[in-house]
Amino acid sequence: MRFLLCSLLLMLGGCQPLWRADAGPPREYAGAFGGALVWEGVVTMSDDVLILPGGSLTIRPGTEVRVVPAEGTQIDPEYFSSLTELLVRGRLAIEGTAAAPVRFTIVERPGVEEIAWAGITFDGAPGGTVRHAVIERAETGIRCVGSAPEIAGSELRRCRYGIIAQAGSHPRILDNRIEDGEGGVFCWRGSKPYLKGNRIAGHDEEGIFVDADSRPWLDRNTVTGNAIGLALYPRDLPFDANGIEGNAENLRLLGPDKP
Amino acid sequence: MKPVLLLIALLLAAALPAGAAGPLLYQGEQTLWQDTVWDGEVTIDGILTVAPGVTLEIRPGTTVRFTPYDSNGDGIGEHELFCQGTLRALGSLDRPVRFTSAAPAPRRGDWGALNMMTSEAGNLLEHCIIEHAYRGFHAHFAQATLRDCLLRDNVRGAQFQESRVVIERCRLVDNTNGLQFRDSEATLADSLVARNHWGVRCVYSTLVLRDCRIEENLVNGVNARESTLTVTASRITGNRRGLYLQNSHAEVVGNELSGNSEHGIFLEQGEVELRGNRIANNGRAGVRWLEATGLLRDNAIVDNGEYALINDGAGPVEARGNWWGETDPERIAAAIRDGRDRSGMGPVEAAEPLLQPLPGTTPAVTEKSP
Repeated sequence: MRFLLCSLLLMLGGCQPLWRADAGPPREYAGAFGGALVWEGVVTMSDDVLILPGGSLTIRPGTEVRVVPAEGTQIDPEYFSSLTELLVRGRLAIEGTAAAPVRFTIVERPGVEEIAWAGITFDGAPGGTVRHAVIERAETGIRCVGSAPEIAGSELRRCRYGIIAQAGSHPRILDNRIEDGEGGVFCWRGSKPYLKGNRIAGHDEEGIFVDADSRPWLDRNTVTGNAIGLALYPRDLPFDANGIEGNAENLRLLGPDKP
Repeated sequence: MKPVLLLIALLLAAALPAGAAGPLLYQGEQTLWQDTVWDGEVTIDGILTVAPGVTLEIRPGTTVRFTPYDSNGDGIGEHELFCQGTLRALGSLDRPVRFTSAAPAPRRGDWGALNMMTSEAGNLLEHCIIEHAYRGFHAHFAQATLRDCLLRDNVRGAQFQESRVVIERCRLVDNTNGLQFRDSEATLADSLVARNHWGVRCVYSTLVLRDCRIEENLVNGVNARESTLTVTASRITGNRRGLYLQNSHAEVVGNELSGNSEHGIFLEQGEVELRGNRIANNGRAGVRWLEATGLLRDNAIVDNGEYALINDGAGPVEARGNWWGETDPERIAAAIRDGRDRSGMGPVEAAEPLLQPLPGTTPAVTEKSP
């Protein structure tokens, strides 16, 4: 049903925003976009949004992106998640500033769960930036698959997973606050993220998890208040341990020769 | 000529492809009104319907190309085959039938799908290659069997609803998502599902999965919600999550679940029986158990990253009689996280551990690290 509705909307809208900017608010977006899209002011993601290869989405400082949670009965996800998702295969530029961050907020209604939307996925996306964004209550705040965006100055709160880097991703993760979820940053399957100056705190499980194939650069991060600060497979990975403190367990070495 | 005969003649003429003497070309919206055989090169530049009661047979070595056409710019091609009759695509090992894009530089989603709609009369695809589609194989209120097929580089390898589908000796690899279905009965046997985002995903369905390899999928290897599963003799390895069951009834026996980045098995509600599996070398935990019921017995749960078993629910977990890789009770307890470690969580009963793995739960396999 959701797909049919999307298809109908796309046919009617020709892949343009459902309401044009000059039509005044409300402005709602859903579907696939191949052109140059700019969001500013208050916009609504009423369903999944896909930025196609060659397309771009720029989100101006101070924008509020109101995310409508998907119906709980949805069973055929259009892309990766049955939750509402922002999937980027083109270029995403979130241009928040410290004074005017870009906020992703949840359109509440009865029955919406704590994890209310899927989050942002970069899937084979060339570059991209997430600067001064506030992302809350996502399944995965930002997921990078074969991608290398810069994620800086942002706040990811109460997401199940803060940031996932997998499939050879090497995002630059700089000076963010990643807090109060299940886990903070996950480095899986050959990922090489650069993490510097982040505060990763208050997670029920790991602050940072590094699998055997991944080689993150861990530099001057504050990792505190998590169940496990750093869960680490590769024994030879150099990292700055100074800020990994105040966790129930600061370092857990994993693998067949674990202590 | 009487009007009725004229009408029949016109309908038959409409079903004849342009240029019938050479490679077949179907343009625009056309319908096959009579049994048809393809052998050679076929191009579909539009939407071709197989009418109810009509059989389309495709012979070995045939290549069917779909021209890319995306009217609304959503990245999904719209040219496709729409079968309300019967499709019999019968390739051979040496001469497969190939469904592909006509584009010079093909990509996922160039064309729509092999659609089976209200088509319940023995659809059969053997030794077929299906590539560059939005949905490689798609069925709705249909029955079909796929044998020895390769579904690769599609947005969705196969998808069906309200259908009965048997997939044997197939490979669903390098698609965006491998196989998804709902309200269906499916058998997946002797098949490989690898390197997709989703491997297998089903909702409100019955799935028999046996002798399969589910490998290196980026989200979940197998995810079932509100479904009934039997999973046997399969290798579910190197995915992010191996087997993720949500409110499902499942019997999981004699499988290898190893090297998955998060959990070998994640059970969220539902009722499960896990016996004789090897659950090893998964990144976060071998088993994560969240408010499910059932039992965990005769398994080898060894060398997992943070924990062998996590009970994140308030209820108890019955886990007597497993091999934990060691016999020291304290070390076994350290590998289990339950209510003794976190308040509000239920206990894990792991008494009477096996002193060695049962035969058959430690196959000689090459593992991938988590």
